[in-house]
This record gives sequence, C-alpha cells and structure tokens, in this order.
Amino acid sequence: MSLFRWFIIRHVRRERLRSVVTVGGVAIGIAVVVAIRLANESSVRGFEVSLEALSGHVSLEVTSPGVGVDEDRLAELSWLRTFGQVSPIIDSDILVRPADADARGELLRVLGVDILRDWPFRDYRFVDNLVDNDDERERVRSTGSITTQEFLSLLTDPDAIILTKAFADRHGLTVGSRVELLVGDHIVVLVIRGLLGNDGPAQVSDGNFALMDIAAAQLALGRLGTVDRVDIQLDESHVIDRAEREIADRLPAGLSVQRPERRGAQVETMLAAFHFNLTALSYIALLVGLFLVYNAVTVSVISRRAEIGMLRTVGTSRSTILWLFLGEALVLSLIGCVVGVPLGGLLARVAVEMTASTVSTFWVAEAATVPAVGVADVLLSFAIGVPLALAAAFLPAYEAARLTPLAAVRGQTDLFVRARLPRRYVVSALALFMLAGVFSVQPPVSGLPMYGLAAALAVVGGGALLVPVALSLLQRIRHPLDRCVAVEAMLARANLAAAIRRLSISVSALVVSLAMMVAIAIMIGSFRETVVYWIEQTLQADLFISGARGSPVGDRGGIAVDVEQVIVEYPGVTAIDGFRSINVPYRESMIIVGAGRFDVLMAHGNLLFKSPSDSRTAMTRAVGRDAVVVSESFSLRYDTQAGDRIELPTPNGPQRFDVAAVYFDYSSDRGLVVMDEAVFARHYDERRPSRLTVYLDEGTDPRVAREGILASLGSTGRIFVNTNATLRRQVLEVFDSTFAITYALEGIAIFVSMFGVASTLLTLALERRRDMTLLRLVGAEQHHLRRMIMVEAGILGFVSLGIGLVVGVVLSLILIFVINVQSFGWTIQFHLPILFLAQSSLVILVATVLAGLYPARLASQLSMADLREE
Amino acid sequence: MSSNPPIPTSDRKPVLDALDVSKSYQRGDQFVSALRAVTLRVSVGELIAIVGPSGCGKSTLLHLCGAMDRPSQGIVRFKGEDLGALSDDELTRLRRQQVGFVFQSFNLLPTLSVAQNIGLPLLLGGQTEKAVTRAVEVMADRVGLSARLDHLPQQLSGGEAQRAAIARAVIHRPSVLIADEPTGNLDSENGVRVLELLVRLNRESNTSIVLATHDEYVATRMGRVVHMRDGQVVDPEL
Repeated sequence: MSLFRWFIIRHVRRERLRSVVTVGGVAIGIAVVVAIRLANESSVRGFEVSLEALSGHVSLEVTSPGVGVDEDRLAELSWLRTFGQVSPIIDSDILVRPADADARGELLRVLGVDILRDWPFRDYRFVDNLVDNDDERERVRSTGSITTQEFLSLLTDPDAIILTKAFADRHGLTVGSRVELLVGDHIVVLVIRGLLGNDGPAQVSDGNFALMDIAAAQLALGRLGTVDRVDIQLDESHVIDRAEREIADRLPAGLSVQRPERRGAQVETMLAAFHFNLTALSYIALLVGLFLVYNAVTVSVISRRAEIGMLRTVGTSRSTILWLFLGEALVLSLIGCVVGVPLGGLLARVAVEMTASTVSTFWVAEAATVPAVGVADVLLSFAIGVPLALAAAFLPAYEAARLTPLAAVRGQTDLFVRARLPRRYVVSALALFMLAGVFSVQPPVSGLPMYGLAAALAVVGGGALLVPVALSLLQRIRHPLDRCVAVEAMLARANLAAAIRRLSISVSALVVSLAMMVAIAIMIGSFRETVVYWIEQTLQADLFISGARGSPVGDRGGIAVDVEQVIVEYPGVTAIDGFRSINVPYRESMIIVGAGRFDVLMAHGNLLFKSPSDSRTAMTRAVGRDAVVVSESFSLRYDTQAGDRIELPTPNGPQRFDVAAVYFDYSSDRGLVVMDEAVFARHYDERRPSRLTVYLDEGTDPRVAREGILASLGSTGRIFVNTNATLRRQVLEVFDSTFAITYALEGIAIFVSMFGVASTLLTLALERRRDMTLLRLVGAEQHHLRRMIMVEAGILGFVSLGIGLVVGVVLSLILIFVINVQSFGWTIQFHLPILFLAQSSLVILVATVLAGLYPARLASQLSMADLREE
Repeated sequence: MSSNPPIPTSDRKPVLDALDVSKSYQRGDQFVSALRAVTLRVSVGELIAIVGPSGCGKSTLLHLCGAMDRPSQGIVRFKGEDLGALSDDELTRLRRQQVGFVFQSFNLLPTLSVAQNIGLPLLLGGQTEKAVTRAVEVMADRVGLSARLDHLPQQLSGGEAQRAAIARAVIHRPSVLIADEPTGNLDSENGVRVLELLVRLNRESNTSIVLATHDEYVATRMGRVVHMRDGQVVDPEL
C-alpha cells in the first residue's frame, strides 16, 4: 500500500493537469450515461407514477379496446360485484385553455368517478373546498378529511371540477375560479369547487390532475354513454391471479380484464427502441472517456520507465507493477465516477427536457419529472466505469510489467521507432468490416437491433484500426503543407510517425466520435429529406383542421357535425376527409387504429404505398369492406404484408381484417392500422373525427379560406386551422426538436475526444522537451516550435476527419438500413448532407488545430535550462 | 597549465570574449556558484581545450560561450556584440548562424533521419530543400556518412552518431564550435577519429573550437588548454 501511495498517488497528484483531464473525461462519460438512464427512466417513470397514483387500491380493470365500455353493458357486468368493489371511470387527458391564445395548452388528467363507488379506491385529501361555513373550511384545511356527503355536494353541479393545489397555485387559481377546458372544437367552462393536496391521484404529472363527477365528465368530454374502464377492488377472500382468470372467462366478447401495471409494461415496450438507441449513443461518450484512461496510464508508464526499472531491480514483481498501474486507472476511474454521478443528475435535467417533448409527442402524454439519482444509478456507474477503465488500462499496465530492469533503466523505448506499415492492422480492419457485413443482414433480437449494433461496433473498431495505418502512410507521402512550412512540417511528420502507437488511441477516440457524428448527421439528414418528400407527397390537402391543439397523444375530442357543416358549405371547399384514431392493444404493445374516408383520400389525397404495386386499386376495393391499410412500421414490427389477415381487438371481440396495402408513414413508430370510417364505425364506434383535411378549389387561396372559415365559426367554437405550409413547417419543427438530443450527445463525445487529442499533444510535447530544447539549440525559434505542434494537431485532425468521414458514411448505412429499420420500422432514403458535413469538417479541423494551441505555447516556452540539466 | 606552448593570439581577431563572467544557480534555498569571475578570449580559428574535474564549471562556461545561457555577472561578447543585450530569439538566430554544438551524448533528434539531422540548421535558416540536400551530401561525404543518410540515429554506432552531430554542428559554417566532452562516450578508436575530424574542420574552415574534456590526449591536440577548478580558471597563463 505504501508503494502504491508513493508510486501512484503522488504521481497522480503531481501530474495534475493530466489527472484532471482524465478524471474529467471519465466523469463526463459516466454523467452522460447516468443522464440518459435517468431521462429514459423519467418517461416511463412519469407514466408509472401516474399509473400508481391513479390506480390507488385498484386490483383489476375491465377495458374495451380503444373505445371504452358501453354503459349499456355495465348492467351485464353486475356479477363483477361478487369479486369486490366496482367503480366505472372516465380517464382522459384534456387541454386547459391557455391564457395566451398562441401558447400551447397544458394537459390535465381528468378523472371522472362515481363518488359513492370510488371512495374506497383512491385517497383524496382536500386542502380547500367551497363551502359556506368558515369553521368547516378550516377543519378541512387542517385535517384534509371530508365526508362522502360533503364530497358529493362538491360535485353535484355539472360544471364542478376539483383541481390540485399545485396546479391552482401555478396558474393563480383559487376555489371558485373558472377553468376552461378545450374539448374537441369547443370550450368547456368549469368552476373549481375544491383543491386537493399532494397525495394519491393528485400527484399525477406534477399536479396536472382534475376530478369530476362521472356524469359531468361524460357530458363535458362528449362521452355520453361510455366509460373508459371499470376498476375493481377485490375482496380479501379473492386471490388476484384466480380472480383475473375467472373474470376473463366470464367477460363478454370485446371486453378484457388486466392489472393496471400492464399499461406500464406496454409503455415500456413502446419506448424500448427509442431508449435502446439513446443508451447506445450515451455509451460512446463513456468510450471516449476510457480512451483517456488508456492515454493517462500509457503516459504514466512511458514517462516512468526508469522508476519501473528501479523497482524491478530492487525486487518488485511483475504482478506488483501490473497492479500498481491498474491501481492508477482504478483511482482515476473512481474519482471520475464520484464526480460523474452527481454531474449526471444535473445533466439529466437537460436530457429530460430534450427528450420529454419527443416522448410526449410520439408515445405517452406524461409530464416528465427528473428522477433523483438512486442507489442503482450509483452502483451501475461504478459497475460499468471502473471495470471498463481497468480494461482500458490493462494493455499499458501489462507493458510496464513486461519491462526488464535493464531496458527500463536504460530508457529503451519503442516510442521512437519509425513505424512500418502495420499490415496486421489492415487485415484486422478488413476482417471487422466483413464481420459488420455479416451482422448487418441478421434479424433483430426481441425487437431490438442487437446485430445492427454489433455491426456498427465492428465498423467503428475497423475504423479505429485504420488510424495507425493512416498515420503510417502519412509519413511516406509529401503533402501540401511541406511547401509553406517545410521544416515545421518535416519535424511534425517525423514526430507523429515516431509516436504512432501512442497517438493511435487518442486519435481513434476522435475518429469514433467523428464517425458517429457523420453517421448521425447523414442519418438525420436522410431522414429529414425522406420526411420532407413524404410530406410533399402525402400532405395534399389545403387546410388541416383539428380540435384543441396539443399533444397528439392526448385525447383531442371530436369536431362536431355542425362545425364540419360550416366548413363544407364554405365557398371553394371541394372535399373533406376526417380522421380519428384510438389506441388499441396489440401483441403486448399499443398500436394506433385510425379511420378516414378512403373515397376522399383516393380522389384528392395521396399515400405513399410500399406494396402492393397496385395499391390504389387495392385501397379502393377496401372501401366498406373489413380491410385495412397498415403503416410500414406496423408491417415490419409485426411481420405483416399486403394480402395477409390481421386480427384486431374490437369492442365486439377479435375481428379479422384483410391487409390491402402497406404505406410509408413517419408520424409514429408504434404501427398504424387505418380503415375506412364506415368500417371503423361498424367495429368500434361512430365517433366524430378529431382532424379534418380540407381540399379547396384551385382558385381559392388557403389563407383566405382559413380566415373565412374561422370567421364563419365565430367565437363560440375553438378549432385550429393550419394551412398546408404551416403544417409542413410544424412537422419539421417537431422533427428537429426530436433529434436535438442526438446532436447534443454527439457534441459531448466530440468535446471529450478533443480533450483527448489536446492532452496527447501536450503529453508528447512534455515528453519531447529535450528534443525541443535541442531544436532550440540548433537554431529553432519559438515560432518554429509553435508551428510544428500546430501542424501536428492539424495532421491529426485531418487524419481523424478523413477516417471519420469514410467510417461515418459506412456507419450511416448501418444506422439507416439496419438499426433504424429494426428499431422503428421506417425506410429512409439515403441522402448526403454535403453542406453540413463540409461545415462541420471545417469546424473540426479548426478545433483540432486550436487543441494544439496550449501544447504549442508550452513548447515554445522551453528554455535552454532543460538541456543544461541533462 | 598547458602541455603545448601557447599560440600567440594577439595577432588574431577575437571572436568571443567572456569578461569576468560569473554564474550561480538557485538550488532550493541555496545559491550555488558554478562560475566565478572567469575571463576567456577565443580568437578566430583557435582550438581551446578546457579541462578540469567534474563540476568545475567547464560546461557552464561552454553554455555561456555558446549563447545558450546568460551570465549572472560579467559580459560575453560575440564578435564584439554583447550577448546580454540580445533577445531570446536573437540569441537563437545567433546560435543558428554563428555557433555549432557537439555534445558527449550526441544529442541527435531521434525522430529525424541522419540527413534531416545534419541539414536542420540550414532548413531552420530558411534555405531551400534543394540547397540543403546538396550541402548535406557534401558534408556527409566529409564526415564519412554518405551511406548512412537515410538511417535513424539509433541505427548508428556511437562514432557515426558523433560524426553526424559534428556534421550538423558545422554545416552552416559557424564561427565557433562548442564541444562538450565530444569523445566522452566513444571508444578510443572512434574518439581519435572524431578528434581528427574536429581538427581537420578547424584547419579547413578556420572555425574556432572550444572543447571541454577530461581526456589529456584530447587536450594535447588543442592549441591552448585552460584549466578550471571550483568555478575558476586556474591556469596561470591567463
């Protein structure tokens, strides 16, 4: 232990800059991993917290796929009471009308309950209520308790609503205030009758929770005649497994029973691919951090060969030397983890902000809260960071252990060996590239692109192996730099050629980050181009009308017949299509079942079909029949082709549908099944469409029509009308915000690897102090040394970028055609974002040259004293 | 005390004058005096050996003469110019143009080939690659390294490495060659070859040579010998 303290700890403290850079690299890597883990957790956790809070003491729930349970059928379900308490529920995400007309509405989870029945299911604690008696209000404030009768009286009015204190405080509302909900195309005005404390269901989504009487909720939300589900609280005499089986056996067709937790599992399944890809990306930052550990230990070994020789001479065993240097990696990685975990907690806020809108746009409408760093996160960080750091340090530590006392004391080093073209690297790189090819054609494992990821890793590994080859080739060829800075270029190339082994690691780290950046830029660029093309082809309508604007995951409510009638009668309107959608459970996940007017779509609109070749005919034939068109993501995810038959759950039991065609769709990766509205009405319900697409005459200006329609509707209704141009812009805005996190993660990886290159250049400069002093002796001026280091940095940037670009393009092919297809089921057309790549290449080159500034400054300040001391 | 009779230098123009120079270093809290009021004049084409035990200040005196360091006290004049008045870059330029160095441990740059090492002062001086290549070939021929130009320093024998170092030290035709124990790391045969080479170069190009050595034989081959002890010149003749 003393030896470790003297030999390693003192050294780590003495080499402060290098230690700080290495610890910083590991810390950032760990922080990114923790942050993404927490961000991923937040999206599922937000849903699960809501689920738990809302579930209360619910054991089982009876649901009907997508459309809720018809109240007429509740009478048939009276036998459910033999299992315990039963409570019908309305459960919906509704938008609150914002004070600012242009702002996005905030989602409120509205629970409509039958108070008398629901009392035992959930805990409601009041902090304020609307009663005349002051003493009574004070009692409620102090105890939170309220009698059933009092509760009932709070919700007797159809316009009564109970909110949470948290929500009310945020919006400056009090008991007695009015609150406006946007339901479909109209506004529902309600009066706050009481406020709930932060307990039970009120904890949902940061307090965005509202309680209503079930009848009032049905009326306000346009759900007369249905409930969303029936909650069951089993008597103590029933065992849940057995009760679930018994209820399932007795339920009529179209109804199913499940535990509330299952909805959480479905959300996890939906988000799995998104989370998997983010996690994979986060590990790149960690990988780059580990390169720094390798770098630090290698430098430590090289700069201390004489000391190692001395230790070996006085009898220190090889294994002790090995453990000493592994110990250095251990110390650095432990400190890195200790710093990284809380840093990850802080970064998580940013990551959650960046992912929350994506998650709520595409999957679940839940307010994402940042979970605190838990014991599991801490343990995971150490369990990943420390062993990987030890693995990274093993090679240099092993090299130190292999040193003979004589070689070490004599300072024999392989640092200054002119590298030959390392053939084995070329062969290994080629082997890895071939392996990547084999992996690329393998199918996904449990819906996750495991082989795709392995192929990407193989390509990255192959690219890293090309670094020494490229550096070796570079010293053989003359390049343009020689003409302008001949002597500096000569010295720089000679220096780099002599340090290929050392440089390869940190340059590889930069290559890996750059390749990932290039690949992701190409993938996102390609995706964007594909989406732009898709929008151009499919968004043919002139106006897009929806009810309350907000998250598409939330229930928007339908657009009333009279509103549609106003639009139909507006001059210049030639056709209207209506679209409604519901979430339907399908094979352990949730898909979207939608319905539109196929005849209008065929006559005026357009879909991009993937198969069969005569899709339009097939779709025309599907009108009125039990036939559907499915999105490409549904087709790939559930291995369904045109001509197949699928079985969808409906309120009347499972129903088989012919798949008429597969079409391209980039609006959701969950899988979309679309049928004609008449078929939907037959199997599900006759709900009004939540979105209308309006086709105008050629001579009608969409902007004028938009204003005209809004004016015709007057101020009573509230609908949103987008022209084709604004909707396209909005789609691309959502697209860009979705990928912001991807760029952020890549930016971090590149930042860390730049650190790596700067630290390597600095290390090399320090190691070559003597040589540089010699140069000064034979007449090199300060500017010669400065330029020499800058040229070295530039060459490293050039090599990294060159390999990074090539490997990045290959990697992008894997991302686009393997990982993306297997994760999300989207076909993306390859597109090279040349301008972006050119701009970022320039930035990277400048940044690498800048990374050489400090080492260059340091080198130019060396004095003759260094040589005198020899 | 010199083994040869002193060569009269009064007729020759001085190239280097160290006047009453002292040099001290700080080691922790203490000041160590490495040179104490030393005066040395080097004339054009002169061969001077500085001898004395380890730590007597030989190398320090050479560093001051070679514009590698500045004295704590006293003046060093190079061709009449006070080195103390020159900036760091001016001193560098002076070394590049007027001074050559040869060290016991050769001090070749390990990453450069022999040719690149030899041509370095000319390249740094801004000469064209073509001119440098020609000069290197001529110089390599003079020192007998024509066949080793593409080798790296670690591929050379000790004698070859020192000849390469000498070639680098004189390729720019310096006025003064500073040699610190140039034969110290060589066997006797190579030592003699290196010494003969230095003497030949002195004769051919009239370069002044100031050489520090422990070796009496080496000292006898020089024109003048200066003895030092404890940071001072002890030769009564000076």
